[in-house]
Amino acid sequence: MAENDTQSRRDVLKTAGAAGTVGLAGLAGCLEGGNGNGNGNGNGNGGDGGSEYPALGNYPIEGDAATLGFNVPQTGPYQEEGADELRAYELAADHLNNGGGWVDLWDDLSGDGVNGYEIDYETGDTATDADTARESASRMIERDNAIMYSGGSSSATAIAQQGLAQQENVLFMCCLTHSNDTTGGDCVRYGFREMFNAYMTGQALAPIVTEEYGDDLEFYQLYADYTWGQTQQASMRQFFEEAGWSEVDSVPTPLGTDDYSTFLQEAVDSGADVLFLNHYGLDGSNSVSQAVDQGINEDMEIVVPLYNVPMAAGAGGSIEGVFGTDGWDANLDNEPTRVFAEAFEEEYGSTPSSPARLAYSATMQYAAAVERAGTFYPPEVIRELEGYEWDNGGIGEEIMRECDHQTMRDILVVRGLSEEEQDAESGRYWEVVEQASYPDAVGYECDSGPAAECELGEYGDE
Amino acid sequence: MSVVGSVVGFMIQTLAVSSIYILVAIGLSITLGTLKFVNFAHAAMYLAGVYIGLGIALELQFSGDIARSIGLGNVGLDLGFLAALAIIPIITFGLGLLMERFVARPFYDRPDTDQILVTFGILLIVQELIRAFVGGRSLTFSRPAWAEGAISLGPLGTYASWRLAIIGITSVLVLAVYLYIEYTDVGLAVRAGTEDTEMVNLLGVRATRPFLVIFGVGSGLAGAAGVVGGPVFSVVPEVGVGVLVPAFLVVVVGGVGSIVGSVVGGLLIGAVEVGLVMNAPTWSSVGIYALAAVVLLVRPAGLMGAVEVDE
Repeated sequence: MAENDTQSRRDVLKTAGAAGTVGLAGLAGCLEGGNGNGNGNGNGNGGDGGSEYPALGNYPIEGDAATLGFNVPQTGPYQEEGADELRAYELAADHLNNGGGWVDLWDDLSGDGVNGYEIDYETGDTATDADTARESASRMIERDNAIMYSGGSSSATAIAQQGLAQQENVLFMCCLTHSNDTTGGDCVRYGFREMFNAYMTGQALAPIVTEEYGDDLEFYQLYADYTWGQTQQASMRQFFEEAGWSEVDSVPTPLGTDDYSTFLQEAVDSGADVLFLNHYGLDGSNSVSQAVDQGINEDMEIVVPLYNVPMAAGAGGSIEGVFGTDGWDANLDNEPTRVFAEAFEEEYGSTPSSPARLAYSATMQYAAAVERAGTFYPPEVIRELEGYEWDNGGIGEEIMRECDHQTMRDILVVRGLSEEEQDAESGRYWEVVEQASYPDAVGYECDSGPAAECELGEYGDE
Repeated sequence: MSVVGSVVGFMIQTLAVSSIYILVAIGLSITLGTLKFVNFAHAAMYLAGVYIGLGIALELQFSGDIARSIGLGNVGLDLGFLAALAIIPIITFGLGLLMERFVARPFYDRPDTDQILVTFGILLIVQELIRAFVGGRSLTFSRPAWAEGAISLGPLGTYASWRLAIIGITSVLVLAVYLYIEYTDVGLAVRAGTEDTEMVNLLGVRATRPFLVIFGVGSGLAGAAGVVGGPVFSVVPEVGVGVLVPAFLVVVVGGVGSIVGSVVGGLLIGAVEVGLVMNAPTWSSVGIYALAAVVLLVRPAGLMGAVEVDE
């Protein structure tokens, strides 16, 4: 109730502000003898001054700068992913304002701000906690007037934030979130996801892993006990049982567990042939390292369905021979990858991870959609993003589906290298076994898989 | 697996989980029992053990914002794990003496809330200083080569060698401190002080020095816990807080001021955690809090303690 009150109060202020802005802009034009800032530069920004579209969410933007919110885990088990995401977000904001990186590759972007506005940003710490993430996002919307915010890892934080986005009519560009629910049962009109999901990981992983280890095996799953882990273990069970394997047991572990030894001992005692560790970030590094310490890899094959570079770096040689999936690799041989990786390395002296690329891409996708729409008005930006197809993101052809806001795209199936073969400088921790391509190897129709449960909600201008 | 095998396996697992908690809890418990000082900054000694120990044993990478701005690179003595295990308790013993003199002593007569605020604040400051200099990302604290891999104990299961090594190291350290307190003059003064500090002073025994020494010994144990726990838990700035909470619960359950209490409390906490993981994993993280609550209700002084926690 209080939130509704706040929202309507802000809407009233926005409407009044928009009306006032139009009037003041005219007055300012008289006083200054011309346009004095990006708002009046004749490139169509008059629409953002409130003349073409009504006030909605944090539209229209007040002042010369559009504020973006970058809400990432700076503490908690996913803090390393969050740190890399934040570096990429800041790099994206810099490129949008000053050129460089993908801005020089994408025709929609100018390098002189977005739609005439300078890009400003605020950062927040989700602490890898859904409630904290929602509060932080709420501050970005209420206090900082963010026109768009982005973040992720974990999926629980992403789902909480995109729920708020729908309620407040402020766009949320998902970053790292892999739960089926994000674009399934919890999908929203105001949320978009480029990251693939657990369902697609199952599709990509099962054929390759079952071919490598054989048919008719038994597997045991440990999974992080929240939306992502739950949907991932369900997808692993679905696709590996369809491939002829059978699940012995599936055990939840609390997010942020330090010591997995007892869970792992139970897995060994189960007599299963394969162990799935559905953990991510620090948890993933810990569980796979402790599994190898405990000698589990001598009795069982280990699979870590979702990988990334910070996690692999934390686990070191423990990932040798371990299969998993990732969304991108800085060593891929294509121009967008090279351009982004070089810009990131030049700025920060390290190789970007796949979460960093997601963060960079989410910001660029939003900015490009605003440019194409010619306005920050959220419903128009949403319509630009829906059904958009692109192939300049470094991972082949991608399409942002209109039906569930899930990107259909390729996935990398990877296998960990030994400690001697790993190269931290180039971010090489695994070999890419296969680039599982959409639609041949991964993907699903709008009426099946997680999409079958998705109802997006309203644009806000109906 | 046979019933005997299951029981022994459960006990080994419990010992492995409990060891680090016990090492940290002993210092907390003694300080609370003798000096009536609630020292949450004790976990900073664990942090010192982890990070300085990593620098002594291998190499410490300084990649925090401040370190980058001043061009601080990697620093490491590469002396090996055993050297770190020998040196760290001495360093943290010294740090403990400094903490007693400059942090604890001015707050001995202040309310518990003041002590909690200042010591928890110090822990957070240390944590953030580490983040600023070393960085927030997880570092790898490799276990020594002689403790890599796993050992099969036949029907009792297969265990990480390092886990078994931790049980051994913890046993030796705890036994040494126990003997020191039971059979030395310093220990006698400490034990008497735990029972009745005022009477010890009236009898002409200067309790200040034994208390100072025991504060340092507790800090040394926490530092050692950092070295042996480094290869097990994540090496991140938050690990101090992560270890502090279960260690404090060990004190609550075992009783204040008692080494035996800390061991018993640690084993109980470990047993509950392991038992729940085996049978009701979703409850494993809340089980230890439930145990602490039950013990506080039934025996407010803890299982082996003479002083109530809130006194």
